[in-house]
Amino acid sequence: MENLIIEKTTATPEIRFDYATGILELLGESYPEDTVVFYAPVFEWLKNFLNNNKERAITVNLEIIYFNSSSSKALMNFFDLLEAAANAGRKVVVNWIYAKGNEGALEYGEEFKEDLDALEFILVEKNV
Amino acid sequence: MKVNDFFQYREGITQNGIFLTFNGVLIHSFMVQLGEVLKMKMSLFNVDKNLEAKIFATVIEQAQNIIFYSSERQPVPAMKGVMVGVGTITVGMEEDNHYYVICGNMLPTDKVEKLNHRLTMIQNMNQDELKQYYKEQRRMTPDADSKGAGLGFIEMARKSSNAIEFDFRKLDEINSYFTIKATF
Repeated sequence: MENLIIEKTTATPEIRFDYATGILELLGESYPEDTVVFYAPVFEWLKNFLNNNKERAITVNLEIIYFNSSSSKALMNFFDLLEAAANAGRKVVVNWIYAKGNEGALEYGEEFKEDLDALEFILVEKNV
Repeated sequence: MKVNDFFQYREGITQNGIFLTFNGVLIHSFMVQLGEVLKMKMSLFNVDKNLEAKIFATVIEQAQNIIFYSSERQPVPAMKGVMVGVGTITVGMEEDNHYYVICGNMLPTDKVEKLNHRLTMIQNMNQDELKQYYKEQRRMTPDADSKGAGLGFIEMARKSSNAIEFDFRKLDEINSYFTIKATF
């Protein structure tokens, strides 16, 4: 399976999914022109990884500074897939990285965390 | 506009504290640039980053409403005649130094009742209720096929310091004009 690499733009995050390490990174802002189209390869990659590697652990490092409401839905769907994998016994760690003082990013991280049980959701404060 | 009418126009927008306004066909790349200008303007005045983020988020949600849902649409020649949504977004400052974002666009008159009902419900929710409703709605449409609009108004209400305000003006049986305002 190939790595997934999508370069950052003003309105879309950088995405790096590494097959060898199982580390998935999303970094930047997210308010795409068409959220479904933008995130389609992300979901496809993740589903492939989950189906073809039944045991392997996944670490997700997310540092999304701003995301719009449709991206919020996409992220929830993304976490739901990971939550189902964690429920099936896989080790899944999500690091929600936010800059110190960014109240919105912390609040939205906390809200995702509240809605997820099986996967390990860690709020990581970063000093700017 | 006549050249000798411009002063009057300037007086009007100055009195309303308007410092950024966009009117006309709105495409995604315009919205992105508008957001950039807004952020630059706010950083010039050392606006608190958390406040800036709220205003920015509101502008994006309102702009996307125009892009996806404005019923007034114009063909754009350079885009092979694709019909693009038309609307108006304004960011300004009230006399009491609070920022506001207002956005307006046409919508079909037969959609007014349903939207009015929904916005009235959102307007009357406190922050805890808005948070619960947001989370419920986010889970309601798992495949994100509504382009996110289900959440957009809740998001605006959550960011706004005061309750959101809105207005519907019926133009005729087909068209109404919809305006929504958030204050920070």
